[in-house]
Amino acid sequence: MKILTSILLILAVAVAQAQAHLDVQTTVHKQEVVVNEQGESETRLVPADVVVPGESVFYTITFRNISDQPADNVVITNPIAEDLMYVEGSAFGPGMEIEFSVDGGQTFAPAGELNVVKDGEVRKATAADFTHVRWVMQHDLAAGAQGTARFAAVLE
Amino acid sequence: METASSRFAPVFAWMRRVSVLSVCCVLSTPADAAGTAVGTQIENTALVNYDVAGTPLSLQSNTTTITVAERINVTVTLQSAQVLVSPGDTAQALLFSITNTGNGSETFALSMDSVISGDNFDPVPAVPAIYFDTDGSGDFNAGDVAYTPGLNDPDLAADESVSVFIVNDIPAGVANGDTGLSELTATSATGSGAPGTVYANQGDGGVNAMLGSTGGTAAVTGEYLVSDVLVNVTKAQVVNDPFGGNEPVPGATLTYTITVSVASAGTATASTVQDAIPVLTTFVPDSILLNGAPISDATDGDAGEYDTTVVPTVVVRLGDLTQAMGPQSIEFQVTID
Repeated sequence: MKILTSILLILAVAVAQAQAHLDVQTTVHKQEVVVNEQGESETRLVPADVVVPGESVFYTITFRNISDQPADNVVITNPIAEDLMYVEGSAFGPGMEIEFSVDGGQTFAPAGELNVVKDGEVRKATAADFTHVRWVMQHDLAAGAQGTARFAAVLE
Repeated sequence: METASSRFAPVFAWMRRVSVLSVCCVLSTPADAAGTAVGTQIENTALVNYDVAGTPLSLQSNTTTITVAERINVTVTLQSAQVLVSPGDTAQALLFSITNTGNGSETFALSMDSVISGDNFDPVPAVPAIYFDTDGSGDFNAGDVAYTPGLNDPDLAADESVSVFIVNDIPAGVANGDTGLSELTATSATGSGAPGTVYANQGDGGVNAMLGSTGGTAAVTGEYLVSDVLVNVTKAQVVNDPFGGNEPVPGATLTYTITVSVASAGTATASTVQDAIPVLTTFVPDSILLNGAPISDATDGDAGEYDTTVVPTVVVRLGDLTQAMGPQSIEFQVTID
Protein backbone atom coordinates (compact mmCIF):
# COMPACT_ATOMS: atom_id res chain seq x y z
CA MET A 1 0.00 0.00 0.00
CA LYS A 2 2.69 2.45 0.98
CA ILE A 3 4.58 1.76 -2.22
CA LEU A 4 1.41 2.29 -4.23
CA THR A 5 0.69 5.59 -2.50
CA SER A 6 4.23 6.77 -3.22
CA ILE A 7 3.87 5.88 -6.86
CA LEU A 8 0.60 7.78 -7.03
CA LEU A 9 2.20 10.85 -5.51
CA ILE A 10 5.11 10.73 -7.94
CA LEU A 11 2.69 10.42 -10.84
CA ALA A 12 0.65 13.28 -9.45
CA VAL A 13 3.65 15.56 -9.38
CA ALA A 14 4.63 14.50 -12.88
CA VAL A 15 1.26 15.37 -14.45
CA ALA A 16 0.68 18.64 -12.58
CA GLN A 17 0.32 21.59 -14.87
CA ALA A 18 3.31 23.83 -15.04
CA GLN A 19 1.27 26.97 -14.29
CA ALA A 20 -0.70 25.53 -11.41
CA HIS A 21 0.14 26.58 -7.90
CA LEU A 22 -1.62 23.66 -6.25
CA ASP A 23 -1.68 19.99 -6.95
CA VAL A 24 -4.93 18.22 -6.08
CA GLN A 25 -5.48 14.48 -6.06
CA THR A 26 -8.56 12.47 -5.19
CA THR A 27 -8.62 8.80 -4.26
CA VAL A 28 -11.52 6.54 -3.33
CA HIS A 29 -11.28 3.50 -1.07
CA LYS A 30 -13.58 1.02 0.59
CA GLN A 31 -13.24 -1.17 3.62
CA GLU A 32 -12.42 -4.81 3.27
CA VAL A 33 -12.57 -7.24 6.14
CA VAL A 34 -9.81 -9.84 6.01
CA VAL A 35 -8.91 -12.65 8.35
CA ASN A 36 -5.25 -12.38 9.38
CA GLU A 37 -2.80 -15.18 10.15
CA GLN A 38 -3.97 -15.20 13.78
CA GLY A 39 -7.49 -15.89 12.57
CA GLU A 40 -8.70 -12.43 13.63
CA SER A 41 -10.83 -10.24 11.41
CA GLU A 42 -9.26 -6.94 10.53
CA THR A 43 -10.47 -4.07 8.41
CA ARG A 44 -8.29 -2.47 5.80
CA LEU A 45 -8.86 0.11 3.10
CA VAL A 46 -8.54 -1.03 -0.49
CA PRO A 47 -9.08 0.96 -3.71
CA ALA A 48 -12.81 1.10 -4.45
CA ASP A 49 -12.95 0.21 -8.11
CA VAL A 50 -16.10 -1.87 -7.74
CA VAL A 51 -18.72 -1.48 -5.01
CA VAL A 52 -22.17 -2.87 -4.32
CA PRO A 53 -25.20 -1.01 -2.95
CA GLY A 54 -24.90 -0.60 0.80
CA GLU A 55 -21.11 -0.40 0.79
CA SER A 56 -19.33 2.70 2.06
CA VAL A 57 -16.69 4.51 0.04
CA PHE A 58 -14.08 6.87 1.48
CA TYR A 59 -12.94 9.84 -0.60
CA THR A 60 -9.61 11.48 0.21
CA ILE A 61 -8.61 14.78 -1.39
CA THR A 62 -4.93 15.63 -1.00
CA PHE A 63 -3.73 19.10 -1.98
CA ARG A 64 -0.24 20.59 -1.98
CA ASN A 65 1.09 24.04 -2.70
CA ILE A 66 3.70 23.38 -5.39
CA SER A 67 4.44 27.05 -5.98
CA ASP A 68 6.80 29.33 -4.11
CA GLN A 69 4.01 31.64 -2.96
CA PRO A 70 1.44 31.10 -0.21
CA ALA A 71 -2.15 30.36 -1.28
CA ASP A 72 -4.95 31.84 0.75
CA ASN A 73 -8.75 31.46 0.83
CA VAL A 74 -8.34 27.79 -0.07
CA VAL A 75 -11.76 26.18 -0.48
CA ILE A 76 -12.26 22.59 -1.63
CA THR A 77 -15.68 21.67 -2.95
CA ASN A 78 -16.77 18.11 -3.65
CA PRO A 79 -20.15 17.09 -5.03
CA ILE A 80 -21.89 14.08 -3.50
CA ALA A 81 -22.96 11.91 -6.43
CA GLU A 82 -26.67 11.22 -6.81
CA ASP A 83 -26.28 7.51 -6.04
CA LEU A 84 -24.24 8.22 -2.93
CA MET A 85 -25.43 9.28 0.51
CA TYR A 86 -23.10 11.25 2.75
CA VAL A 87 -22.20 9.44 5.98
CA GLU A 88 -23.12 11.77 8.82
CA GLY A 89 -20.09 13.15 10.66
CA SER A 90 -17.60 11.62 8.25
CA ALA A 91 -16.17 14.81 6.72
CA PHE A 92 -12.75 15.62 8.14
CA GLY A 93 -10.05 18.18 7.42
CA PRO A 94 -7.41 19.56 9.79
CA GLY A 95 -7.55 23.35 10.03
CA MET A 96 -10.66 23.56 7.86
CA GLU A 97 -14.25 24.47 8.50
CA ILE A 98 -16.67 21.98 6.98
CA GLU A 99 -19.87 23.11 5.33
CA PHE A 100 -22.59 21.49 3.26
CA SER A 101 -25.03 22.40 0.55
CA VAL A 102 -28.56 21.13 0.05
CA ASP A 103 -29.21 23.16 -3.12
CA GLY A 104 -26.71 21.79 -5.61
CA GLY A 105 -23.78 23.88 -4.39
CA GLN A 106 -25.37 27.35 -4.56
CA THR A 107 -25.27 28.01 -0.82
CA PHE A 108 -23.29 26.41 2.01
CA ALA A 109 -23.64 26.28 5.80
CA PRO A 110 -22.53 24.06 8.71
CA ALA A 111 -24.45 20.77 8.92
CA GLY A 112 -26.78 21.82 11.78
CA GLU A 113 -27.85 25.09 10.15
CA LEU A 114 -29.37 23.76 6.93
CA ASN A 115 -33.06 23.40 6.27
CA VAL A 116 -34.96 21.88 3.40
CA VAL A 117 -38.50 22.62 2.27
CA LYS A 118 -40.55 19.63 1.30
CA ASP A 119 -44.29 19.67 0.56
CA GLY A 120 -44.42 23.20 1.91
CA GLU A 121 -42.93 22.21 5.27
CA VAL A 122 -39.52 23.32 6.50
CA ARG A 123 -37.43 20.69 8.25
CA LYS A 124 -33.83 20.28 9.32
CA ALA A 125 -31.62 18.88 6.58
CA THR A 126 -30.20 15.41 7.12
CA ALA A 127 -27.16 13.74 5.62
CA ALA A 128 -29.37 12.36 2.86
CA ASP A 129 -30.14 15.91 1.69
CA PHE A 130 -26.55 16.99 1.21
CA THR A 131 -25.51 17.61 -2.40
CA HIS A 132 -22.02 19.02 -1.77
CA VAL A 133 -19.45 19.15 0.96
CA ARG A 134 -16.78 21.82 1.18
CA TRP A 135 -13.77 22.51 3.31
CA VAL A 136 -12.85 26.15 3.99
CA MET A 137 -9.24 26.47 5.05
CA GLN A 138 -8.84 28.74 8.07
CA HIS A 139 -5.26 29.79 7.29
CA ASP A 140 -2.90 30.20 4.34
CA LEU A 141 -1.40 27.19 2.64
CA ALA A 142 2.30 27.98 2.74
CA ALA A 143 4.57 27.18 -0.19
CA GLY A 144 5.32 23.45 -0.12
CA ALA A 145 2.67 22.74 2.54
CA GLN A 146 -0.04 20.15 2.03
CA GLY A 147 -3.43 19.28 3.47
CA THR A 148 -6.02 16.52 3.40
CA ALA A 149 -9.81 16.48 3.26
CA ARG A 150 -11.93 13.34 3.62
CA PHE A 151 -15.51 12.16 3.65
CA ALA A 152 -17.41 8.91 3.42
CA ALA A 153 -20.57 8.02 1.54
CA VAL A 154 -22.79 4.95 1.17
CA LEU A 155 -23.77 3.61 -2.23
CA GLU A 156 -27.56 3.62 -2.40
CA MET B 1 -86.02 -39.93 12.30
CA GLU B 2 -82.92 -39.64 10.18
CA THR B 3 -79.53 -38.49 11.35
CA ALA B 4 -76.85 -36.99 9.18
CA SER B 5 -73.39 -35.79 9.96
CA SER B 6 -71.40 -33.88 7.43
CA ARG B 7 -67.89 -32.49 7.12
CA PHE B 8 -67.91 -29.02 5.65
CA ALA B 9 -64.17 -28.39 5.84
CA PRO B 10 -63.55 -28.20 2.09
CA VAL B 11 -66.08 -25.40 1.90
CA PHE B 12 -64.21 -23.48 4.58
CA ALA B 13 -60.88 -24.08 2.91
CA TRP B 14 -62.37 -22.54 -0.21
CA MET B 15 -63.62 -19.59 1.81
CA ARG B 16 -60.10 -19.09 3.12
CA ARG B 17 -58.68 -19.16 -0.38
CA VAL B 18 -60.97 -16.33 -1.31
CA SER B 19 -59.41 -14.20 1.41
CA VAL B 20 -55.93 -15.21 0.21
CA LEU B 21 -56.87 -13.96 -3.22
CA SER B 22 -57.40 -10.47 -1.90
CA VAL B 23 -53.96 -10.57 -0.24
CA CYS B 24 -52.23 -11.57 -3.45
CA CYS B 25 -53.48 -8.59 -5.37
CA VAL B 26 -51.42 -6.21 -3.23
CA LEU B 27 -48.19 -7.77 -4.48
CA SER B 28 -47.18 -5.26 -7.07
CA THR B 29 -44.87 -2.94 -5.10
CA PRO B 30 -41.82 -4.59 -3.59
CA ALA B 31 -40.83 -3.22 -0.22
CA ASP B 32 -37.10 -3.24 -0.84
CA ALA B 33 -35.41 -0.96 -3.30
CA ALA B 34 -32.77 -2.85 -5.20
CA GLY B 35 -30.23 -0.03 -5.05
CA THR B 36 -28.15 1.64 -7.68
CA ALA B 37 -28.25 -0.28 -10.93
CA VAL B 38 -25.43 -2.68 -11.70
CA GLY B 39 -22.83 -1.19 -14.04
CA THR B 40 -23.50 2.41 -12.99
CA GLN B 41 -20.29 4.45 -12.99
CA ILE B 42 -19.96 7.09 -10.30
CA GLU B 43 -17.38 9.75 -10.97
CA ASN B 44 -15.97 12.18 -8.46
CA THR B 45 -13.96 15.34 -9.05
CA ALA B 46 -13.02 17.86 -6.36
CA LEU B 47 -12.76 21.58 -7.11
CA VAL B 48 -10.24 23.82 -5.37
CA ASN B 49 -10.57 27.60 -5.26
CA TYR B 50 -7.74 29.67 -3.88
CA ASP B 51 -6.06 33.04 -4.16
CA VAL B 52 -2.44 33.68 -4.93
CA ALA B 53 -1.24 37.27 -4.48
CA GLY B 54 -4.85 38.44 -4.57
CA THR B 55 -5.72 36.60 -7.80
CA PRO B 56 -8.55 34.07 -7.53
CA LEU B 57 -7.67 30.78 -9.15
CA SER B 58 -9.33 27.42 -9.39
CA LEU B 59 -8.29 23.89 -10.17
CA GLN B 60 -9.96 20.51 -10.60
CA SER B 61 -8.61 17.29 -9.17
CA ASN B 62 -8.29 14.08 -11.11
CA THR B 63 -11.56 12.16 -11.52
CA THR B 64 -12.10 8.89 -9.68
CA THR B 65 -14.57 6.36 -10.99
CA ILE B 66 -16.28 3.56 -9.12
CA THR B 67 -18.33 0.93 -10.88
CA VAL B 68 -21.42 -0.48 -9.22
CA ALA B 69 -21.14 -4.26 -9.03
CA GLU B 70 -24.06 -6.65 -8.84
CA ARG B 71 -25.39 -7.27 -5.38
CA ILE B 72 -27.22 -10.58 -5.23
CA ASN B 73 -30.15 -10.49 -2.84
CA VAL B 74 -33.45 -12.31 -2.67
CA THR B 75 -36.41 -12.33 -0.34
CA VAL B 76 -39.23 -14.82 -0.07
CA THR B 77 -42.47 -13.81 1.60
CA LEU B 78 -45.47 -15.94 2.46
CA GLN B 79 -48.65 -14.62 0.90
CA SER B 80 -51.06 -17.25 2.23
CA ALA B 81 -52.69 -16.98 5.58
CA GLN B 82 -52.67 -20.30 7.46
CA VAL B 83 -54.30 -22.76 5.07
CA LEU B 84 -57.17 -24.72 6.61
CA VAL B 85 -57.27 -28.35 5.54
CA SER B 86 -59.03 -31.65 6.28
CA PRO B 87 -57.44 -35.07 6.75
CA GLY B 88 -56.73 -36.64 3.35
CA ASP B 89 -57.07 -33.39 1.38
CA THR B 90 -55.00 -33.31 -1.81
CA ALA B 91 -53.27 -30.46 -3.68
CA GLN B 92 -53.35 -27.89 -0.90
CA ALA B 93 -51.37 -24.84 -1.97
CA LEU B 94 -49.35 -22.26 -0.07
CA LEU B 95 -48.66 -19.01 -1.97
CA PHE B 96 -45.28 -17.26 -1.80
CA SER B 97 -43.72 -14.27 -3.49
CA ILE B 98 -40.05 -14.26 -4.49
CA THR B 99 -38.46 -10.83 -5.02
CA ASN B 100 -35.07 -10.06 -6.53
CA THR B 101 -33.87 -7.40 -4.06
CA GLY B 102 -30.47 -7.23 -5.75
CA ASN B 103 -29.54 -4.55 -8.26
CA GLY B 104 -29.13 -6.75 -11.33
CA SER B 105 -30.87 -9.57 -13.17
CA GLU B 106 -30.60 -12.91 -11.46
CA THR B 107 -31.85 -16.45 -11.97
CA PHE B 108 -33.11 -18.35 -8.96
CA ALA B 109 -33.43 -22.07 -8.33
CA LEU B 110 -36.42 -23.13 -6.24
CA SER B 111 -36.79 -26.00 -3.82
CA MET B 112 -39.25 -27.02 -1.15
CA ASP B 113 -39.20 -29.07 2.03
CA SER B 114 -42.13 -30.37 4.04
CA VAL B 115 -40.10 -32.18 6.71
CA ILE B 116 -39.76 -29.27 9.13
CA SER B 117 -39.57 -29.42 12.90
CA GLY B 118 -42.04 -27.51 15.04
CA ASP B 119 -45.24 -28.94 13.64
CA ASN B 120 -47.52 -31.94 14.25
CA PHE B 121 -47.37 -33.62 10.87
CA ASP B 122 -45.37 -33.56 7.66
CA PRO B 123 -47.40 -32.54 4.61
CA VAL B 124 -46.72 -34.81 1.63
CA PRO B 125 -45.34 -32.88 -1.36
CA ALA B 126 -47.39 -33.29 -4.52
CA VAL B 127 -45.52 -34.32 -7.69
CA PRO B 128 -44.53 -31.79 -8.91
CA ALA B 129 -44.71 -29.70 -5.76
CA ILE B 130 -43.81 -26.20 -7.02
CA TYR B 131 -45.95 -24.20 -9.44
CA PHE B 132 -45.94 -20.66 -10.74
CA ASP B 133 -49.10 -18.64 -10.21
CA THR B 134 -49.19 -18.40 -13.98
CA ASP B 135 -52.60 -16.78 -14.23
CA GLY B 136 -51.85 -14.41 -11.35
CA SER B 137 -55.05 -15.40 -9.58
CA GLY B 138 -53.46 -16.20 -6.23
CA ASP B 139 -55.46 -19.41 -6.36
CA PHE B 140 -53.86 -22.69 -7.34
CA ASN B 141 -55.62 -24.03 -10.43
CA ALA B 142 -55.22 -25.97 -13.63
CA GLY B 143 -53.68 -23.10 -15.59
CA ASP B 144 -50.66 -22.83 -13.29
CA VAL B 145 -47.39 -24.13 -14.76
CA ALA B 146 -45.23 -26.53 -12.78
CA TYR B 147 -41.66 -25.55 -11.95
CA THR B 148 -38.96 -27.80 -13.38
CA PRO B 149 -35.49 -27.16 -11.93
CA GLY B 150 -33.04 -26.04 -14.61
CA LEU B 151 -35.78 -25.67 -17.18
CA ASN B 152 -37.88 -22.70 -16.08
CA ASP B 153 -35.95 -21.23 -13.17
CA PRO B 154 -37.36 -17.73 -12.67
CA ASP B 155 -35.11 -15.03 -14.12
CA LEU B 156 -35.93 -11.80 -12.32
CA ALA B 157 -34.85 -8.24 -13.06
CA ALA B 158 -33.91 -6.02 -10.13
CA ASP B 159 -36.99 -5.46 -7.92
CA GLU B 160 -39.04 -7.97 -9.92
CA SER B 161 -41.23 -10.53 -8.13
CA VAL B 162 -42.80 -13.84 -9.04
CA SER B 163 -45.62 -15.69 -7.26
CA VAL B 164 -45.10 -19.37 -6.58
CA PHE B 165 -47.16 -22.12 -4.97
CA ILE B 166 -45.91 -25.11 -3.08
CA VAL B 167 -48.44 -27.90 -3.13
CA ASN B 168 -48.87 -30.66 -0.57
CA ASP B 169 -51.27 -33.48 0.23
CA ILE B 170 -52.51 -33.83 3.79
CA PRO B 171 -52.09 -37.27 5.43
CA ALA B 172 -55.32 -39.04 6.34
CA GLY B 173 -54.37 -39.66 9.94
CA VAL B 174 -54.04 -36.08 11.17
CA ALA B 175 -56.20 -34.70 13.98
CA ASN B 176 -58.19 -31.53 14.28
CA GLY B 177 -55.92 -28.65 15.35
CA ASP B 178 -52.73 -30.29 14.03
CA THR B 179 -50.33 -28.08 12.10
CA GLY B 180 -47.97 -28.97 9.26
CA LEU B 181 -45.17 -26.77 7.93
CA SER B 182 -43.77 -26.55 4.43
CA GLU B 183 -40.90 -24.36 3.25
CA LEU B 184 -39.99 -22.70 -0.04
CA THR B 185 -36.34 -21.80 -0.76
CA ALA B 186 -35.05 -19.56 -3.58
CA THR B 187 -31.32 -19.62 -4.27
CA SER B 188 -29.32 -17.50 -6.70
CA ALA B 189 -27.94 -19.45 -9.64
CA THR B 190 -24.71 -17.45 -9.37
CA GLY B 191 -24.12 -18.81 -5.91
CA SER B 192 -24.99 -18.62 -2.24
CA GLY B 193 -23.02 -18.51 0.97
CA ALA B 194 -21.48 -15.92 3.25
CA PRO B 195 -22.62 -12.33 2.59
CA GLY B 196 -19.75 -10.48 0.92
CA THR B 197 -18.64 -13.47 -1.16
CA VAL B 198 -17.45 -12.15 -4.53
CA TYR B 199 -17.99 -13.88 -7.88
CA ALA B 200 -15.49 -12.28 -10.25
CA ASN B 201 -16.98 -11.13 -13.57
CA GLN B 202 -20.24 -13.03 -12.98
CA GLY B 203 -22.47 -10.00 -12.53
CA ASP B 204 -24.56 -8.38 -15.25
CA GLY B 205 -22.33 -7.16 -18.08
CA GLY B 206 -19.32 -8.99 -16.68
CA VAL B 207 -18.83 -6.88 -13.55
CA ASN B 208 -18.24 -8.57 -10.23
CA ALA B 209 -21.17 -9.98 -8.30
CA MET B 210 -21.28 -10.00 -4.52
CA LEU B 211 -23.64 -11.77 -2.17
CA GLY B 212 -25.72 -9.29 -0.19
CA SER B 213 -27.12 -9.62 3.31
CA THR B 214 -29.25 -12.64 2.48
CA GLY B 215 -26.28 -14.64 1.20
CA GLY B 216 -27.99 -15.29 -2.12
CA THR B 217 -30.71 -17.49 -0.69
CA ALA B 218 -33.95 -17.06 1.23
CA ALA B 219 -36.49 -19.48 2.66
CA VAL B 220 -39.90 -19.01 4.23
CA THR B 221 -42.26 -21.48 5.85
CA GLY B 222 -46.01 -21.68 5.43
CA GLU B 223 -48.46 -23.58 7.60
CA TYR B 224 -51.41 -25.89 7.19
CA LEU B 225 -53.95 -26.21 10.01
CA VAL B 226 -56.26 -29.18 10.22
CA SER B 227 -59.59 -27.53 10.84
CA ASP B 228 -62.07 -30.26 10.34
CA VAL B 229 -65.22 -28.78 11.74
CA LEU B 230 -67.72 -31.51 12.54
CA VAL B 231 -71.30 -30.41 12.02
CA ASN B 232 -74.19 -32.61 13.13
CA VAL B 233 -77.52 -32.23 11.40
CA THR B 234 -80.61 -34.10 12.64
CA LYS B 235 -84.06 -33.99 11.18
CA ALA B 236 -87.21 -35.03 12.99
CA GLN B 237 -90.85 -35.05 11.87
CA VAL B 238 -94.17 -35.02 13.68
CA VAL B 239 -97.41 -36.04 11.90
CA ASN B 240 -100.77 -34.57 12.85
CA ASP B 241 -103.73 -35.95 10.90
CA PRO B 242 -107.04 -34.09 10.49
CA PHE B 243 -108.66 -36.48 12.91
CA GLY B 244 -106.51 -35.68 15.96
CA GLY B 245 -104.24 -38.64 15.37
CA ASN B 246 -100.72 -39.12 13.96
CA GLU B 247 -101.43 -41.02 10.75
CA PRO B 248 -99.71 -39.85 7.52
CA VAL B 249 -102.89 -39.58 5.50
CA PRO B 250 -103.80 -36.97 2.86
CA GLY B 251 -104.48 -33.68 4.60
CA ALA B 252 -102.17 -34.53 7.51
CA THR B 253 -99.60 -31.85 8.52
CA LEU B 254 -95.93 -32.78 8.80
CA THR B 255 -93.82 -30.60 11.08
CA TYR B 256 -90.11 -30.97 10.36
CA THR B 257 -87.47 -29.91 12.87
CA ILE B 258 -83.87 -29.71 11.64
CA THR B 259 -81.24 -29.28 14.34
CA VAL B 260 -77.75 -28.14 13.38
CA SER B 261 -74.88 -28.18 15.88
CA VAL B 262 -71.09 -27.92 15.70
CA ALA B 263 -69.53 -30.92 17.44
CA SER B 264 -65.86 -29.93 17.32
CA ALA B 265 -63.49 -27.01 17.60
CA GLY B 266 -63.53 -24.51 14.76
CA THR B 267 -66.08 -22.39 12.98
CA ALA B 268 -68.51 -23.59 10.36
CA THR B 269 -68.40 -20.51 8.16
CA ALA B 270 -71.52 -19.25 6.36
CA SER B 271 -73.52 -22.38 7.13
CA THR B 272 -76.70 -22.78 5.13
CA VAL B 273 -79.41 -25.42 5.42
CA GLN B 274 -81.32 -26.30 2.25
CA ASP B 275 -84.08 -28.84 2.49
CA ALA B 276 -86.27 -29.74 -0.50
CA ILE B 277 -89.81 -30.46 0.57
CA PRO B 278 -90.93 -34.06 -0.06
CA VAL B 279 -92.82 -34.91 -3.24
CA LEU B 280 -96.57 -35.19 -2.88
CA THR B 281 -96.56 -32.60 -0.13
CA THR B 282 -97.35 -28.88 -0.12
CA PHE B 283 -95.44 -26.30 1.84
CA VAL B 284 -97.45 -24.54 4.53
CA PRO B 285 -96.99 -20.78 3.91
CA ASP B 286 -95.28 -18.77 6.65
CA SER B 287 -94.36 -21.89 8.59
CA ILE B 288 -90.57 -21.45 8.72
CA LEU B 289 -89.18 -20.82 12.21
CA LEU B 290 -85.55 -20.34 13.20
CA ASN B 291 -85.05 -21.00 16.90
CA GLY B 292 -88.77 -20.29 17.32
CA ALA B 293 -88.77 -16.96 15.44
CA PRO B 294 -90.62 -16.74 12.11
CA ILE B 295 -88.81 -16.25 8.82
CA SER B 296 -90.78 -14.96 5.86
CA ASP B 297 -91.23 -17.07 2.72
CA ALA B 298 -90.03 -14.25 0.48
CA THR B 299 -86.43 -13.90 -0.68
CA ASP B 300 -85.69 -10.72 1.22
CA GLY B 301 -83.30 -9.46 3.85
CA ASP B 302 -83.97 -12.08 6.49
CA ALA B 303 -82.17 -15.35 7.20
CA GLY B 304 -84.19 -17.56 4.86
CA GLU B 305 -86.90 -18.19 2.29
CA TYR B 306 -89.10 -20.73 0.59
CA ASP B 307 -87.40 -20.99 -2.79
CA THR B 308 -89.39 -22.48 -5.67
CA THR B 309 -87.05 -21.52 -8.52
CA VAL B 310 -85.82 -25.08 -9.14
CA VAL B 311 -87.39 -27.50 -6.73
CA PRO B 312 -89.46 -26.22 -3.80
CA THR B 313 -86.87 -25.84 -1.05
CA VAL B 314 -86.65 -24.32 2.39
CA VAL B 315 -83.44 -22.29 2.74
CA VAL B 316 -82.13 -20.97 6.07
CA ARG B 317 -78.80 -19.25 6.50
CA LEU B 318 -77.27 -19.87 9.90
CA GLY B 319 -74.08 -17.82 9.44
CA ASP B 320 -70.89 -18.73 11.30
CA LEU B 321 -71.49 -21.49 13.80
CA THR B 322 -69.34 -22.67 16.69
CA GLN B 323 -69.80 -25.35 19.30
CA ALA B 324 -70.34 -22.66 21.96
CA MET B 325 -73.44 -21.39 20.14
CA GLY B 326 -75.31 -24.62 20.81
CA PRO B 327 -77.86 -26.33 18.55
CA GLN B 328 -79.78 -24.25 15.99
CA SER B 329 -83.36 -25.30 15.39
CA ILE B 330 -85.19 -24.87 12.07
CA GLU B 331 -88.84 -25.79 11.76
CA PHE B 332 -91.31 -25.83 8.86
CA GLN B 333 -94.50 -27.55 7.90
CA VAL B 334 -95.95 -29.31 4.85
CA THR B 335 -99.27 -31.00 4.24
CA ILE B 336 -99.70 -34.35 2.53
CA ASP B 337 -101.47 -33.94 -0.82
